[in-house]
Amino acid sequence: MELFEAIKGRRSIRRYKTDPVDDKQIESILDAGRWAPSWANTQCWRFIVIRDAKIKSQLAETMMAVKLPDREIPNPALNAMKTAPVVIVVCAQTGIAGVKHSTSGTNLEYATDKGDWFMFDTALAIENMLLAAYGQGLGTVIIGAFDAPRAEKVLNIPKGCRIVAFFPVGVPEGPGKAPPRKELSELVIKDKFS
Amino acid sequence: MEVFEAIKNRRSIRQYKSDPVDDKTVEKVLEAAHWAPSWGNQQCWRFVVVRDSKIKSAIADTLNKVTIDNELVENAAASSVRQAPILIVFCAEKSKAGYSIDGTPQNDKGEYWYMFDIALAVQNLTLAAHALGLGTVIVGGFNIAKVEKILDVPGGCTVVTMTPLGVPDHKGQVSPRKQLSEVIIKDKFS
Repeated sequence: MELFEAIKGRRSIRRYKTDPVDDKQIESILDAGRWAPSWANTQCWRFIVIRDAKIKSQLAETMMAVKLPDREIPNPALNAMKTAPVVIVVCAQTGIAGVKHSTSGTNLEYATDKGDWFMFDTALAIENMLLAAYGQGLGTVIIGAFDAPRAEKVLNIPKGCRIVAFFPVGVPEGPGKAPPRKELSELVIKDKFS
Repeated sequence: MEVFEAIKNRRSIRQYKSDPVDDKTVEKVLEAAHWAPSWGNQQCWRFVVVRDSKIKSAIADTLNKVTIDNELVENAAASSVRQAPILIVFCAEKSKAGYSIDGTPQNDKGEYWYMFDIALAVQNLTLAAHALGLGTVIVGGFNIAKVEKILDVPGGCTVVTMTPLGVPDHKGQVSPRKQLSEVIIKDKFS
């Protein structure tokens, strides 16, 4: 698929068919993730590929409800975690991205006021993976609102590693909707803010 | 250009020609960035497109120096910022990404979810630029407070990262990647 078509056509998919997705397709998605750039090429990302139905459902239980002005509703992607055959969890090894050159361990110093850059670097990889999935006709939706400490227990995440986000991968039940975007003119500033 | 080709062949470009890049091309790469998904569709990103060479040069001066042979020298990306005709600075509107409707951060990542959403947009932009024959390099090591002052960034917004945008003057190196087997775990850690 052509790149711009992929970028503009990708949607967040919350309803999936139970159709299988083979290892080769998953591997090409992960490979796309691996090709993202990263802070000083530190590649802090780790990808957990979950096919086990029980683990998928335990992970789904950690998802947070969505607060609306008058009530709370279950996350609309909750069912997707069960119907989609695969969930990819993106973790990060902390204390690597955003770290000042030649500091580590107890004398570790971050290079910027943003601290650890693991959120940034894993997101670069995730965007590649979303596009690679869509390029093969597969749907995804990024899930960020979940109880991370609980999810980390479910997946036995080792010390120094954190779960950033996860996404189901599967055949979409139908086309997704494009939520309205702001106009570019609302977002672009020329040379400097006035 | 095909998606996988763009993903695998994009390189970080640190040397640029001074060839101009027109507004239409800049708009194309910004549009690609803007098509990224975002937390609750908040689209917290703001793009500052700097063509003014004085401002570019002032920003280049804020890049962290690096130590080579015990000597502090300018970061290679500083000259790219001066060379390339355009510098795109990514800002984030704070307290949007990662927040729930009641105005509190929703999870343990707190306010830093803007780092995530900005990066989704940045990656679309680097791929789009590559497909149009242009180079980029993500720059994160600079004095953010100084850049915010130079650009008069309003309160409530913060500068996250930047990239020069221009015609590459070299092919770019492949940074060796870990093997997939080193970064994949099946089902759960054992």
